[in-house]
Amino acid sequence: MNSARLLYHMVRADFLERVRRYSFLLTLAGALYMAWGVATEKVWIVVGNGYRGVYNSAWIGMLMTICCSTFLSLVGFYIVKNSVQRDTETRVGQILAATPMRKDFYTVAKTLSNFAVLACMVVILMLAAVAMQLMLAEAHSFSLWKLWSPFILLALPAMLLTSAVAVLFETLPVLRGGVGNVIYFFAWTGMLGLGATGFDDPSGLQLLYRSSRQTLQAIDSSNRNDFGFRLTIGGEHAIRTFSWNGLDWTTNILLMRLVWIGAAVGIALLASLFFHRFDPARAVVKKFRKATSLSAPSPEERSAGAATSTSSAHLTPLVRTAPSSRWKQMVTSELRLMLKGQRWWWFAGAAGLLIGQFAAPDPGTRSGFLVAAWIWPILLWSQMGCREARHGTSALLFSSERSLSRQLPALWAAGVIVALGTAAGVGIRLLLSGDAHSLAAWLAGALFIPSLALTLGIWSGGSRAFEALYTIWWYMGPAHQIPGLDFMGTTPASSSPVPYAIAAVVLLSFAYLRRRSRLGYA
Amino acid sequence: MQLSIENVSKRYGGGNWALRNFSLDLRPGVLGLLGPNGAGKTTLMSILATITRATEGRVIWNGADLAKNPDSLRSTLGYLPQDFGVYPNLSAVEFLEYLAAVKGLDAASSRRRIDELLNLVNLTDVRKRALGGFSGGMKQRIGIAQALLNDPQLLIVDEPTAGLDPEERVRFRNLLSELSGERIVILSTHIVSDVEATATDIAIISQGTLVAHASPEALLQKVEGRVWDWIFPSAELNFVRQQVLVSNTARRSDGVHARVIADTPPPNAQPQTPTLEDAYLYCLAEHRGKTHPVVMEAGTPA
Repeated sequence: MNSARLLYHMVRADFLERVRRYSFLLTLAGALYMAWGVATEKVWIVVGNGYRGVYNSAWIGMLMTICCSTFLSLVGFYIVKNSVQRDTETRVGQILAATPMRKDFYTVAKTLSNFAVLACMVVILMLAAVAMQLMLAEAHSFSLWKLWSPFILLALPAMLLTSAVAVLFETLPVLRGGVGNVIYFFAWTGMLGLGATGFDDPSGLQLLYRSSRQTLQAIDSSNRNDFGFRLTIGGEHAIRTFSWNGLDWTTNILLMRLVWIGAAVGIALLASLFFHRFDPARAVVKKFRKATSLSAPSPEERSAGAATSTSSAHLTPLVRTAPSSRWKQMVTSELRLMLKGQRWWWFAGAAGLLIGQFAAPDPGTRSGFLVAAWIWPILLWSQMGCREARHGTSALLFSSERSLSRQLPALWAAGVIVALGTAAGVGIRLLLSGDAHSLAAWLAGALFIPSLALTLGIWSGGSRAFEALYTIWWYMGPAHQIPGLDFMGTTPASSSPVPYAIAAVVLLSFAYLRRRSRLGYA
Repeated sequence: MQLSIENVSKRYGGGNWALRNFSLDLRPGVLGLLGPNGAGKTTLMSILATITRATEGRVIWNGADLAKNPDSLRSTLGYLPQDFGVYPNLSAVEFLEYLAAVKGLDAASSRRRIDELLNLVNLTDVRKRALGGFSGGMKQRIGIAQALLNDPQLLIVDEPTAGLDPEERVRFRNLLSELSGERIVILSTHIVSDVEATATDIAIISQGTLVAHASPEALLQKVEGRVWDWIFPSAELNFVRQQVLVSNTARRSDGVHARVIADTPPPNAQPQTPTLEDAYLYCLAEHRGKTHPVVMEAGTPA
């Protein structure tokens, strides 16, 4: 009984803490926007040769569940992946660690509190689904079970799995930070890809695919060979309809859903093996292993701890330097701060990609190196604009002279230098070849990336927004050379330097305004 | 060199006033800003450090209004916040070099200054160690060093001795006294002994308003003849606490020895030399309307 009460209060406190944050409201707004897209026929699932289902309870339930499973299992992960981190930062964790609470109990409780947040959004979307069917009014029959069963049996287990994976990522030191944020995106795309293998994926996409395919093939055999199942936003519209009456929840399907729930519980328990129970010594040793060992105080530390010198407060007068010299010094300092703490392999990787850019025999290979070179420093860029908040140095910086007009541009310049430096091979070769358009696109990319990082860092106060958005954008745009989304200009056809140069300026303006509003005195 | 705080008020979201019509004129010396938790000290420090903007009123630094020209102060401001962080991957020297650049200091002279400051705060031997491995007290000393980087004319230190061991606390007090000659130092704390050792002026703040601003001597004068050592049985302690302002108690074989502050002497009480802590408690009680002469009723201790 005591355990149940403790669990309830842990989940409740965590839940309330998070649903009162703007990030929750923003994600909910995003999910509801998607639901609105469904209601206004801007979001479609096109199956076979241009078919969509009649908007009955089953089809709306499926459509919404797919939106829910895909959107929330990605964005939701980034929203909930901070519950352990928050306990560490607020030092509440140390209080919890001093209680008899078991490690597995903690990770399960955190999984459930993550789940409560995501489930809350799912429930809101379930209610929206009812409104949607009434608004669309295409089918006369209404079945609450058909409408809601995909949410309950597909979306909720997917949310539980997302919740558990978020806790696992937080407890594994290597996945706790930005690396984990990037890796999750690729894990998520891989998970969606499970459907293509015929395996019942956690989101249930494969089940819905199979069922709608069978139904459609029964009425139109021309769909037999080339059967597509696409979630489209805007663009392609289905021209024909077919009636789909929902999934037949067989024992096998239900058992498979139970397997995913079991997997989520297993992951939550697995996380407890890596959970260090807020032991600051372990966290420090891992974080600062490059520094002197902390196992025992060094002679220097002992001497620093025992004050013996009789220093006087006499200080040498200072020399004020010219503004240009200060600017150079500020940019150098920001650059050094950005690069400090990187391991040797990071520099080796960056150097390897740079050499690859110089040595690449053809533009295609060179673009490949560029794409890789500009994902490599993502964790450097993601610290821009939020490092002060993260490390608690805001008051020191913002009470300094011209922090807005000097430190902020210097920080941005350092980010641009990283972009230019890591992709210098491509830039130099474009310069030598005289390809002005591609060079402009490359330069616009180098300006755009740090501008995006700085703006998101300042506005969100953290690194995750940039890490998540940039990874998705990088994957959808430059990696697939999609026109409009390719901010790096990997090919002449997909590049658009002017819009991205303008976007960089607009983003910088947003960053400036936000920082200005945060300073008591601009 | 003059700092004028003119009718400054600060209201936070939800309508809570952290400061109300706060006015103070400061000249070179150490101002000890005393007040209980939540009195508004940190809010005032934050406004003076140009971090927070006042809702009402003005802060004037050498004739310049901070709301219009905050950089006039920032170039000569040293600020040690109550709660601050460091970049864990940087060494002490690298962190100070970074902040020297932020403050617009020349690289060569700031390097010399950093060496001197690290010596001053006794961190020379660990100057190249990553800050992430520093203890709380060592980080606090780095904070003190950064506040002195730009040779500030106005030095604001908010609870600076928190986390320091007694030896370091004494060193820091001495340092503040040495630094105070040509600059204004504002030392915010609720530890009266820190102020007692260093302050040339004391301001007491409570519930967002200025309760007293005077020299230590003038404050002590206020409680002269009002501090008593009163001995009574330990069973009466709670009753006594309700009747008079008790600044300290000690149990002895003959009963409880209470240091009480009262306008009239309790029965058989011996007069004591007042301390700044007595004066501080008296001013706070007076502000809250809780000072009173000793009222002797049936059942009171004798």
